[in-house]
Amino acid sequence: MIELKNVTKYFRTNQGKRYILQNVSLTLPDGNIGILGRNGTGKSTLMRMLGRIDFPNEGKITSPNSFSWPLGLGGGFVGNMTGKANVKFVCGLYGKSYEETKEIITLVQDFAELGNYFEMPIKTYSSGMKGRLSFGLSLSFDFDYMLIDETLSVGDARFKVKAKEALLKKIENCHILLVSHDMNTLRELCQSGLLVHEGELEYYENIDDAIERYKEINKS
Amino acid sequence: MPKNLQGKVINLVLRKSSKIFLSVIKALFLRELNTRISIGKSGLFWTFFEPFFQIFIFISIRVAIVSNGSNSVTTFDYAIFMASGFIAFNMFKNILSGATGAFAANKALFNYKQVKPIDTIFGRLLLEVFLSSIIVLLFLFIGFLFGYNVEPQNIVMVFFAYVWILVFSFSIGLIVAIGNIFFVSIGKFVGMFSFALLIFSAVFFPINNIPPAVQEILLYNPLVHFMEMIHGYYIYELDDRFVDYQYMLYWTITPLFIGTWLYIKLEKRIISQ
Repeated sequence: MIELKNVTKYFRTNQGKRYILQNVSLTLPDGNIGILGRNGTGKSTLMRMLGRIDFPNEGKITSPNSFSWPLGLGGGFVGNMTGKANVKFVCGLYGKSYEETKEIITLVQDFAELGNYFEMPIKTYSSGMKGRLSFGLSLSFDFDYMLIDETLSVGDARFKVKAKEALLKKIENCHILLVSHDMNTLRELCQSGLLVHEGELEYYENIDDAIERYKEINKS
Repeated sequence: MPKNLQGKVINLVLRKSSKIFLSVIKALFLRELNTRISIGKSGLFWTFFEPFFQIFIFISIRVAIVSNGSNSVTTFDYAIFMASGFIAFNMFKNILSGATGAFAANKALFNYKQVKPIDTIFGRLLLEVFLSSIIVLLFLFIGFLFGYNVEPQNIVMVFFAYVWILVFSFSIGLIVAIGNIFFVSIGKFVGMFSFALLIFSAVFFPINNIPPAVQEILLYNPLVHFMEMIHGYYIYELDDRFVDYQYMLYWTITPLFIGTWLYIKLEKRIISQ
């Protein structure tokens, strides 16, 4: 459950404040929630706020659940360090014990299929390899909610299939907040929808209703 | 106890904030160290010897000038004078420059909810303390080998002075780090300024050797007091007669409060910048 209370979020631009949410109060029941909206309406910002790695300018967002970092995010990797060292670092951030860390390293190693590259500096990786590593890392941690921001397609065709299978298996045990423009992905992975539109937030219990409404907005 | 969806007890949410803080600091420290060590094949060597050689060269030049100069008659060992103060000054300078870029360089890490911006400053500060300690040990070892009298006059007070300058560096660094997020010029200014400070901070000379008129001006610089304190308690022939402890305290506590207050006010804005 995620609760929004009088949430206002804006960005300061040269043309004044650009509002993403204006005084929104809403309670989201647990479930896989797809976030829809046109480009630049603030879908990603909303997702980050719900996951509490970004903050509203006014109001409060509360939840008893734990949230992951945005899935497949490789931004925190250090180029000099090996893939393994980077994985160890994230384990350290989350205070994992020596055994847990070892377990996670094996999991990531098996999933990412980097071979020798796993013990080589990240700067020698191709972008696909980096994506595989961070995808595997995200899947190796347990959270109540996974944040996913349109990064479902990493790696080659074979890996995409594998990633999708792993993700489907993962979300049997946890919920997701998914930002996507791909209606098929949304239908497949989410039950309910959240539409961001002109500073308003519309919640639909059925993702199909949300998609209908999204198409309506796009027509006008 | 809250349970997650699998029914397992979540240790993530429940972990005490102090525990989270400690594991994050530890991870960041190891990361900073690893980043430096893994720059190449000789990374491990240069991580420790680069700062060592920098200080070593400065000291050598200064000692060479003293032993050639005819007008300066010294009663104490200039090598020890330089080493004791310059290591502390270098620590201050590095903490300041490290803190300046800490938020921007680690921006990607704020995606992990665990990591608060201030942790990145602590991580870099710890690394600097670690490196400085190694350097101190190296110098003590070399001094001992070559028969210098490396024993300080009052080891407790010297240690205290080092800890104090550490807190001082942190408070100034915190303000600069926050300022640098909103005004990039502050970082540039600090970069230029810290080089000038090297000349005006009584690192190369005891303040006693300076004309009284200049003394008065230089003593407005808090670093002069720190240097004089370290020199005074390290070297038998020198004392702390110019050190104004109250002035140092003001310079430590005021920035610490301003920095903490600004940080609490602006933490969320720093994260979402």
